[in-house]
Amino acid sequence: MWLWFAKLGSPKWFYELSSKWLPWLVGAMAITLAVATVWALLYLPPDYQQGFTSRILIVHVAVAGTSLAFFPLMAVAGTITLVWKMKLADMVAKNAAALGAWFSFITLATGSIWGSVSWGTWWEWSDSRLVSMLFQFFLLLGVVSLRSALEDSDKAAKACALLSIVGCINVVVIKYSVEWWNTLHQPASPVSIESGSANGPEFWIATALMILGVYLFMSVSLILSTRNEILRRERRALWVQELLHESD
Amino acid sequence: MKPHRRKMLGIILFIAFGLSAAVGLTLYALSQNINMFFTPTQVAQGEVPAGQHFRIGGMVKDGSIAREADSLSVNFVTTDFASEVPIHYVGILPDLFREGQGIVAEGIVDAGGVFQASKVLAKHDENYMSPEVKAALDAAGASAENHSAASEGGSL
Repeated sequence: MWLWFAKLGSPKWFYELSSKWLPWLVGAMAITLAVATVWALLYLPPDYQQGFTSRILIVHVAVAGTSLAFFPLMAVAGTITLVWKMKLADMVAKNAAALGAWFSFITLATGSIWGSVSWGTWWEWSDSRLVSMLFQFFLLLGVVSLRSALEDSDKAAKACALLSIVGCINVVVIKYSVEWWNTLHQPASPVSIESGSANGPEFWIATALMILGVYLFMSVSLILSTRNEILRRERRALWVQELLHESD
Repeated sequence: MKPHRRKMLGIILFIAFGLSAAVGLTLYALSQNINMFFTPTQVAQGEVPAGQHFRIGGMVKDGSIAREADSLSVNFVTTDFASEVPIHYVGILPDLFREGQGIVAEGIVDAGGVFQASKVLAKHDENYMSPEVKAALDAAGASAENHSAASEGGSL
């Protein structure tokens, strides 16, 4: 068990394994995203109140849900960095922060556009869901800047790990904000298996596909950026040298 | 697990739990301020200090919307099915504004007990359905409007 764990922390092992997995992941991502996008944007039935505006929500819900995964991911990686000092964990965490900031930004942008039509406002400072999501965006930018502000990369990794663990609290606040307090933002929709009822399959299957596609996109992006980080940090290692000569 | 690793993990867990507790208690203490709006019942019970600018949230009562023919002025009643507050508003209402819809209005209660709104926002509940489904539900007598109104009323 510990051998497997130690192996997982080896950048070389990760690089080789990800080379094998990447084509499959990219393929699955391309198919899922293509199907979900065409379905959601061309064939999804309109909502009886909002009309076709509801199609924005498919993208919004998928990206928003995925954006909540970044802090837990960075916290797990951060804990591994702090406790087991595994280099690979920090390479994953480093690029997750910036990607997460983008996901949060797209969540805020799509939500704002939808809100301007449906609610009658682009932004409400009094809504705890909106503000906690904005806080996550700033917190992720904070992790990115913290890393670039500290010159000692070891210290930077530790500081970012701690901030990531702390940031997880905000994820819980975002998730439950619509239940704990009254907000303008609607709560998460319960799904119904029955066709022809509220939140029936014609709505949520497209959403579920989009969520899967966006998660795959997140995984592929993280794996690609981690591979780059491995090559950069391990550039003096023998296996990287050999790899580079092979491709010459 | 080596002792120094166990110690580090302990420190991390301690920080995580300590901070969670601190944030949790702070949010709990501030919950009245974090809530976006007061309900009509809270207003009726006098929980809102007199003369204060605040937000009220509830459903638009069926049959209560009265528009003036020559202006953007509109009167309606907001309800949480326990208490009602009349609202007056001059301006353009959001697309989703209608009877039975959840709304949030910002403004002040005047001397006559009417809420003078400076802004009206429409809420959308968590239920999405196509026009056909909505029509079918209405035809079946199970008015989705009432259904969503009941679930909204529960969460308000």
